[in-house]
Amino acid sequence: MSALEFVNVSKSFGDVNALNNFTIALEQGELVSLLGPSGCGKTTALRIAAGFETADTGSILLGSTNIISLPAHQRRIGMVFQSYSLFPHLNIRDNVAFGLKVRGVPGDVRKKRAEEMLDLVRLSDLGHRMPHQISGGQQQRVALARALATEPHVLLLDEPLSALDAKIRVEVRDEIRRLNRDLGVTTMFVTHDQDEAMSISDRICVMNNGVIEQIGSPRDVYNNPATSFVAHFVGSINSLPKGNTRVLIRPENLVLATHDESAQWRGAITDITFVGAFTKISIVLDNDNSSVSVLAISTQIDHNIAIGKNIGINEEIR
Amino acid sequence: MKFMGKIWPRLYIAIAIVFFVAPLLSMARFAFQRIPVISLGKDNLFKRWTIDGLLTTLRDPEFLHSLSVSLKVAFFTVLVLLFLMVPTTLWVHLSAPRWRGVVETVTILPYVVPPIALVVGVSGTYRSIAPWFLASNYSLVPFYAILAMPFTFRSLDVGIKALDLRTLVDAAKSLGASSGRVMWNVLLPNLRTSLINAAFLTITVVLGEFTIASLLLKRTLPMYMAQAQGSEPQGALGLGLLILVLTTILFTLVSIIRKKDSKSINVKNINVGMVP
Repeated sequence: MSALEFVNVSKSFGDVNALNNFTIALEQGELVSLLGPSGCGKTTALRIAAGFETADTGSILLGSTNIISLPAHQRRIGMVFQSYSLFPHLNIRDNVAFGLKVRGVPGDVRKKRAEEMLDLVRLSDLGHRMPHQISGGQQQRVALARALATEPHVLLLDEPLSALDAKIRVEVRDEIRRLNRDLGVTTMFVTHDQDEAMSISDRICVMNNGVIEQIGSPRDVYNNPATSFVAHFVGSINSLPKGNTRVLIRPENLVLATHDESAQWRGAITDITFVGAFTKISIVLDNDNSSVSVLAISTQIDHNIAIGKNIGINEEIR
Repeated sequence: MKFMGKIWPRLYIAIAIVFFVAPLLSMARFAFQRIPVISLGKDNLFKRWTIDGLLTTLRDPEFLHSLSVSLKVAFFTVLVLLFLMVPTTLWVHLSAPRWRGVVETVTILPYVVPPIALVVGVSGTYRSIAPWFLASNYSLVPFYAILAMPFTFRSLDVGIKALDLRTLVDAAKSLGASSGRVMWNVLLPNLRTSLINAAFLTITVVLGEFTIASLLLKRTLPMYMAQAQGSEPQGALGLGLLILVLTTILFTLVSIIRKKDSKSINVKNINVGMVP
């Protein structure tokens, strides 16, 4: 039995089909990302699970119970939002204890539980502060603690890292992964950021225009994309001519060669972008005019590689 | 040029201060100096100051009665307005943003409809169906509720806009709070400043309104003051000044609370427009 299951869930807003026969099952303790461009229906799916939107058709199973007609506050599904959404009038501890308070848990018990949860997200010394007195990353960790304090069946995360800056984003991301593993709480994570989805998920569900394009492990989705959309959306990819067709090859699977007959493709370098360990080299093919990028290890770039120079490209044989 | 640039703003502020303060000072001299108006001059600026006139007025049973009428009417007007406007404004923001413009337009109607038209129209209706209602002092409540509607709506509207209302409501619900709980434990505490603002603005509207009260022949505080100007002019003006000082203190307190609250929700300019 799955922990959370969407069965043929559909939802339209006017003429727009936000979600079309959306079906997915999350196993107990699993972290699944819904990944797709904005407007692909991922947030709609999440909001339907949380009870903030009503589905036109389909059902949502929590264990074996269909919760589709249950109001949001009776679902026991925790949620974390992009905008932190801490209650501005309550201090951090009372924010964490809010869910317990509305459930009628006695004061001393909920205080103890709030302290435990703050301990879990390593913010136990900030309990007395007000939300505006702590940083964005800390606020989001409090939001996590608050959502987990009521021991929800499922945790939903709606782009929780989008409002954070790069370094903090990685910290909070790791925190989410750690909590998911330590507490074994089934988690659904919505994001438009493929790196985020790759690094955090057990499985990724790639969505486009309200339908699922592929569900699989991050490695699977990256290495064996089921559709051209997945290939293009997850990671970057080159489309190269091969005989009468075109092949899709990732930049890191191409190697540079000399500009002669032995090279599979030939072109001229148009741009070189240094990105640390790797360097991205953009090339326009001689006979095709299509742009190709090659990811090379920076230490292997020599003086022959410069803008305007002719170069050959081969597919790396592994 | 730099010097002139500094001079102008100060000059304007000085003019503004004189414009506001000079009449108040004259009023204070008239109300609190036992000297015939005709002889008031700069020689006797510090002579024969007294609050006897004000005290006589404050002891007048008619004053106490009119004050109690006005305060009761103000209290019920605040209740009626908040009861009507809090759910309406929340509804507009949460479920029907398209209606915000319509609601806003309706709330500023009191500025468009002159009080005389309001009273004649509405009292005409009541006179035929519920004449007893017009006989009561509380018949002022619906009129005052309409008059104070723009302040209440604006105050709540600004307060709600400063919150991420949708997400706060969703967050509270996902934590297990029913709609009532959301209202009581999340929305009202976060709208505290707006509610206080709205209430005080409503009270000042009620304490200052004259036209409707006089058309409906109600003995409210402004009516009393207008009449007392004939019989006890010094006391009436003294009372006017007293009310002015009290409302100033009240609004200073409100703005202190407002500053404290706006800090906690990280928003700086929660100002309520006095005029649309």
